[in-house]
Amino acid sequence: MATLTSWVEHLTTDVDSATEGMQVAGEIYPMVGTEGLLLLIGVIVWLAWHVGTHNSEAEELKKMARKAPGSNAHKNIVAEW
Amino acid sequence: MTDELSALTVIFTEFYYWMTVVLMFLIHVGFCMYEVGASRYKHHQHTLMKNTILIPLVTITFFFFGWWIYWAFPTGPGIAPSIMTESTGLVLGGGFGANELANPMSPIMSIGLNDHINGVFWAAFLLFSWTAASIVSGALIERITTFAFGILAIAIGSVFWTIDASWGWHFDGWMVKLLGYHDAYASGVIHACAGGFALGVLAVLGPRIGKFSSSGEPRNIGPRNPWLVCIGLFLIYTGFWGFYAACNIPIFNLGPEYGLGDGVNFWTATNIYVTPTTLSGITMNFLMSLSGGLLAAYWIAKGDPFWTYSGGLAGIITASAGNDLYHPIQAMIIAGIGTIIAYKLHYWVERKFKIDDAVGAVAVHGYAGVVGLIICGFVLWGFPSSGYDGLGYAAINPVGMIIGAFIMFVVLGFIPGYVIAKILHAAGKLRIPREVELAGLDYNMMEAASKDEKAVSSSNR
Repeated sequence: MATLTSWVEHLTTDVDSATEGMQVAGEIYPMVGTEGLLLLIGVIVWLAWHVGTHNSEAEELKKMARKAPGSNAHKNIVAEW
Repeated sequence: MTDELSALTVIFTEFYYWMTVVLMFLIHVGFCMYEVGASRYKHHQHTLMKNTILIPLVTITFFFFGWWIYWAFPTGPGIAPSIMTESTGLVLGGGFGANELANPMSPIMSIGLNDHINGVFWAAFLLFSWTAASIVSGALIERITTFAFGILAIAIGSVFWTIDASWGWHFDGWMVKLLGYHDAYASGVIHACAGGFALGVLAVLGPRIGKFSSSGEPRNIGPRNPWLVCIGLFLIYTGFWGFYAACNIPIFNLGPEYGLGDGVNFWTATNIYVTPTTLSGITMNFLMSLSGGLLAAYWIAKGDPFWTYSGGLAGIITASAGNDLYHPIQAMIIAGIGTIIAYKLHYWVERKFKIDDAVGAVAVHGYAGVVGLIICGFVLWGFPSSGYDGLGYAAINPVGMIIGAFIMFVVLGFIPGYVIAKILHAAGKLRIPREVELAGLDYNMMEAASKDEKAVSSSNR
């Protein structure tokens, strides 16, 4: 599962002695190659968040609207911490 | 410093750490705002002073012995041998009692033209020490004496976190060698440790008066200024950028360090374990883990501002252990998972054990840090914990990370916090008198101010 198991090996991959310096395999995160799946999961989580929070917010707003406390009612309940 | 390029590298590194210290100051501005906003009006000035006084106390004790501890104990002592003779970096002569680097009487612990790094590196670690103490501070508001908190701040800031850093946040640390412990941005070494320490103190300190009803039901003691609390947390996010940058070494040549070959150079940023990463990559991971935490907390706390902002922080903390290596989307998901668990655990522990954590510090730092370490063990399973091949370092693995989480949260966190609090409690020094807690720690100041106000407003010359 690990993308690399030795930093020395990873940093000396594709060393070309004809050129100066080294070429290094770039990606170092886990599960290289699963970027498409990660993106899909990320997008699903993002969209599910919108659906979930919208439903929760709508429920809360409906409950408050049913109570209809009036525009000055909040002045009687501010905490005196 | 005799050629321009190496001078430039040294001065750049010096300036880099200096900048991180400046940025990390904002963490402490944020903590002050956050705690003052969370406490009730009648306690707020003493709350501010309690958090402020950790700054000089941790600074001077970190100079006297904290920095020495970090450099003296990576091998245990006696748990794993030092690799320092193999390194092109600093060679200290290794081991307990032989640490000359951070001896407060050493010339390197002062201004000198031969060294440009020790002072700024010491300062970066000092700001982490302040952070450890500040984490504990918030949980204890409104009922701990400033004296007791000063002792606890020195203990966590200059002793126990520096031991855990020596063990698990040091390229020569025994936990890295034997357990494959990996904690790039301090999920465990700062956050789990300080969170566990706070929990240990809370178990002795007891809840605020009125927190629990006679039937044991917890009551919410709300912040007096939720807006100030959230802006404080936002400032902590800002300072956290400095924290992340300070956890890295900005530029290092791994070619000779790793023995990559004759004349081979590989200049890169590294983490504290001297394994490569990039500031660019961790920038994405920081932002995605912040976002994962914010989204998760907003959803689970139904938009509560305090928990949403706290969740952003918990998200970063959860992903921090492996944020040098995660893909940004992995960081986002890991952050969300840790935040949800931290939130749920906060309320479960409160209800089950009657623990009054005034600001959720144990959850946001302790539980999120522990979860982050455990997740890191699975997601980074098999990655090397070090670049020093052939020196017997264990690879990153779930068992090692779970043991590491236990060491951080319990051995160096909960147990010392509990024991020191017990000693202070036995001496009658831990908690303020009941009468003072009811009247408010600031009562005398408020009474004096009121007398002055009356005198001023009734005078006519």
